Amino acid sequence: MGDELAFSTLFERYYGSLIRYGNSLMAYPERVQDCVQDVFANVWLYRNSLSESVVVKAYLLSSVRKRIARLHERDTFFRQTTSLESVEFSLDFSMEDQLIANEETAAQIAQLNRLINALPARQKEALYLRYHQGLSIEQIGEMLDINHQSVSNLLHRCIQHLRREWKGDLTLVLLLFARIL
Amino acid sequence: MQQRDQYKNIEDFLSDESFLKWVRQGDQRHHWEEWTVENPERAKLVAEARLWVLAMRVSETAVSPLETQNALQAVWNKIEEEEHSQERPMPVVSLWNRIGWRSVAAVLALGLSLGWLYKAQTPTQEKLTYAELIKQDTDGLIEQTNNTNKPQLITLSDGSSVLLQPKSKLSYPKSFAGNERNVYLSGEGFFEISKNPKKPFFVFANEIVTKVIGTSFRVKAYGDQPNVEVVVRTGKVNVSSNQALSSFNTASIQLLPNQAIRFVRNRLAFEKITDITQEKELTKAVAPIEQLSFEFSDVPVAQILKTIEQTYLVEIDYPRERLKDCYLTTSLSDQPLPEKLKILCESLGNTTRYEMNGNQITILSEGCN
Repeated sequence: MGDELAFSTLFERYYGSLIRYGNSLMAYPERVQDCVQDVFANVWLYRNSLSESVVVKAYLLSSVRKRIARLHERDTFFRQTTSLESVEFSLDFSMEDQLIANEETAAQIAQLNRLINALPARQKEALYLRYHQGLSIEQIGEMLDINHQSVSNLLHRCIQHLRREWKGDLTLVLLLFARIL
Repeated sequence: MQQRDQYKNIEDFLSDESFLKWVRQGDQRHHWEEWTVENPERAKLVAEARLWVLAMRVSETAVSPLETQNALQAVWNKIEEEEHSQERPMPVVSLWNRIGWRSVAAVLALGLSLGWLYKAQTPTQEKLTYAELIKQDTDGLIEQTNNTNKPQLITLSDGSSVLLQPKSKLSYPKSFAGNERNVYLSGEGFFEISKNPKKPFFVFANEIVTKVIGTSFRVKAYGDQPNVEVVVRTGKVNVSSNQALSSFNTASIQLLPNQAIRFVRNRLAFEKITDITQEKELTKAVAPIEQLSFEFSDVPVAQILKTIEQTYLVEIDYPRERLKDCYLTTSLSDQPLPEKLKILCESLGNTTRYEMNGNQITILSEGCN
């Protein structure tokens, strides 16, 4: 009984966020739901053989990703979908509108937000997993199948690059602002 | 909180849970604001990191509590379905039976016409290899390969033991979930299975499946050899062809002690061997474990332990002095190694116990009763 309660709690805690992640990898909400539910069903069915060292969140995210990737592969195969690429992360970050005090800051943030959303899918996914889901560099490496040094470089370079572009853009924005005022 | 004094990059802030909570929810506001203004350089960095957080919002899903509850119910249904279907080894096949063979043939023909891409993904219909078998079982198998020239002992989580012959591989789960115990063999192994009628034990080896409840037997299934063989030493086993084969025969063949079966792979046919002593090929390959007797009557413990050492190729450490006058009468034939050791220890007296660490076994004893 205790197991079932723990399972329900786990489910309630992560279901929404996994659906969100799944939807950013595949455009069929019903199939995403199916995948996420299958992942949980397997957690229950194989609960005795799961390694004790499994970190729940990383495990769930990575299982959802694997399952969607498998589905995607099958689709490409049987339905002759044009793209042969593996799954692509397509979530758009939004802005924390309510927390922004003035218009100038809002313009800066909008600029940065636009730059982040224009990043290649893989970099965006790494950003999301690291700073939104709070996964470790190692866990991200395992999920995306690259070594952790590359993850770390990827994140660092991507942020540095964005900062430079952003600063460049900002001067422009500020100039525009000054003119309007 | 200590390490934040060392933060130099935006990344450092973005990966600090407490920083994120401050920006998003205003948690520990006082604390963070105070710290930020302590140092002007720092203040700049904090201000920028804050903008990053604000630009990277992920709106939470609109999954309502009701939807979540419905989804949870759907998961429980899936689990129940899965648990039911596990009572039969492969649910896909029972579906196939219902459709009938003609439509299966039609599906196969269609499949072939899809060309090489399809074919490359599907296991060759009439030959199953170890690699294909373990691919179907995706849930965390441990694989052990014997690259030495001596048999290797593997103890499974249910207390069963397997002597894996050289150039052989065994894949098994860390612990057995569900209603079945499934393992996958490539090469040759001698199995001693702990009894559990509720959870039958299946050995998948090339095209055949050996089902047992508790017994000892040998399976020989090298990927590159023409035959698959199962030889039974004690108890009863059932052997059938793997249901993933398109021409599989549902009937299983029961084997009793000292019986064996040979599966001829290119004909997909079974040959039953009722008297293994008549089969030179089979008897010459018999490992020590199948020749040594585990029926002991009034035998010194040291000798029993020596027999175990020879059979399982393990080293047993025990207090020789204390056990030198201990004699036992016991039957250990039909038991996996952990069970043999347990019975031995119990026979010696209640303070006796054993510890097992790979091939190294230590018996701790105060002497016998």
